[in-house]
Amino acid sequence: MILALETSCDDTCAAVVDATGAILANVISSQGIHDRYGGVVPEIASRHHLELINAVVDDALRRAGSTLADVRLVAVTRGPGLIGALLVGLQTAKGLAAARRLPLAPVDHLHGHVAANFLAPAAVEPPFVCLIASGGHTLLALVREPGGFELLGQTLDDAAGEAFDKGARLLGLPYPGGPALERLARDGDPEAFDFPRASRVSGLDFSFAGLKTALLYKLDDLGEAESRRLRTDLAASYQRAIVDALLARAERALGQSGIDRLALGGGVAANGELRARARGLGAVVAVPPAELCTDNAAMIGSAARFVSAQPYPDYLGLDAYASGDYGS
Amino acid sequence: MTVVLGFDTATAATAVAVVRSGSQTIELRHEPAAGERPGHATRLLGLVDEVLRAAAIELEAVDQIAVGVGPGSFTGLRIGIATARALAQGSGRPLSGVSSLLALAAGAAHDGPVMAVIDARRGEAFAALYERLTARVGPRAMRPEELAEHVSGAPGPLLAVGDGALRFRAELEAAGARVPAENDPSHGISARQICRLAAEGRAAVTGPAGGGGVTPDYQRRPDAEIARNR
Ligand SMILES: [Zn+2]
Repeated sequence: MILALETSCDDTCAAVVDATGAILANVISSQGIHDRYGGVVPEIASRHHLELINAVVDDALRRAGSTLADVRLVAVTRGPGLIGALLVGLQTAKGLAAARRLPLAPVDHLHGHVAANFLAPAAVEPPFVCLIASGGHTLLALVREPGGFELLGQTLDDAAGEAFDKGARLLGLPYPGGPALERLARDGDPEAFDFPRASRVSGLDFSFAGLKTALLYKLDDLGEAESRRLRTDLAASYQRAIVDALLARAERALGQSGIDRLALGGGVAANGELRARARGLGAVVAVPPAELCTDNAAMIGSAARFVSAQPYPDYLGLDAYASGDYGS
Repeated sequence: MTVVLGFDTATAATAVAVVRSGSQTIELRHEPAAGERPGHATRLLGLVDEVLRAAAIELEAVDQIAVGVGPGSFTGLRIGIATARALAQGSGRPLSGVSSLLALAAGAAHDGPVMAVIDARRGEAFAALYERLTARVGPRAMRPEELAEHVSGAPGPLLAVGDGALRFRAELEAAGARVPAENDPSHGISARQICRLAAEGRAAVTGPAGGGGVTPDYQRRPDAEIARNR
């Protein structure tokens, strides 16, 4: 059995998965506290991870009906993410593994999002193109084998989820704004306004910073009363621009790679318009359940099945990393 | 015979020790060179492994794990405490949290009052004033003026130790404190003191295996929280 930990952002996560990719427990403790700050505060996130992590591990083991004695491998996110937050999970994983002389599998967080697709019961077989979009990352990955991925493109500035949150804030919605913006967009006309899709960004990279600025200018132009009256149209058009930008690159990636399978991941994969329109691309589309799209430790345990684990004591000096190097 | 494994990561140093009653103590330290990052994440568990091997014991033979809970570097404290809790959770050993300032004071060979001072950055120090290892002032974050005030008010000749004492040497000495030379080992937090204090029942908290009750003594709220409540 694999015990997996994930603390790269503001969710304190522990999971137990088995060698076949079956999830025996998947505990996610969301900190919530950051909403009042309008974003994740690293120091506060780190403090909460330390408060929660041991209880979350215990909870995962209990839900899996097991104890540490049943664990054969400890897996943990090493990066990318908030260093102080990552270190709480990494030291906990190293310490648990060291105390029991177990091997440890350090996992890249983005590989984890890809590996959410390898979990039972709906495992997707490589090769496939994976679009990962969340508040922290936006990228396209080419997955030829389960042990890794090739980075095809990534955002040059804001993440897609960040674009949702910033747009929502401009429209007066509370943080995190993605789901609220989507609800507002349901009653609006997505073609009422033409927001930029970063079409000048070449290849398979993304850019969302201009979109937020465009919304800001549009709100200025319209004035407060008109902006309020056209709120649903603004939300719908803004969401349309994000989804268009994401899917245009995904479609290009499918075309260039000649692969006809697309997997979605990350918190933005919960967006209804993204899911629906992805199915219109003509590819076979896989979307893991919502709790496996957002940050979780089951996906880290899943990835750990395909990376080489380090035996005791090789991993004792492992450090966390804030940003990854994916050779692109 | 009691065997205690203890460590401290409140300052830039990483200190690990095994103390066995009636036997020799083994302590290992990592001090980052000038410009080098602290080795907390990369050295702590390696030093634990090394110290246990030097003592020829397994983690299971340890009666108690002890960790310095600060105050000090926020990230350093979290690394030390997360590691200590995980070792306790994984081995089923009980865990104690010991004040890093108390350990600093305990390491100073001085009969009179001792002020333990840890550099808190931003022109402040985390400090406490001890008489026979009983805290008379603090621990808390203090500005140099406050440090000086407590030095002047102390009964008898006062010794100030710690990286914060070096940082604020001028202010402390002007107020009448004695500050040992820069290379004096009493400025470093010793892990053997963490072990000894835990064995003597002077831990701030002793939790069951897993050590959920052992948390950092931050002595300072996160900046974002302070800004928000202003
Ligand atoms: Zn993520």
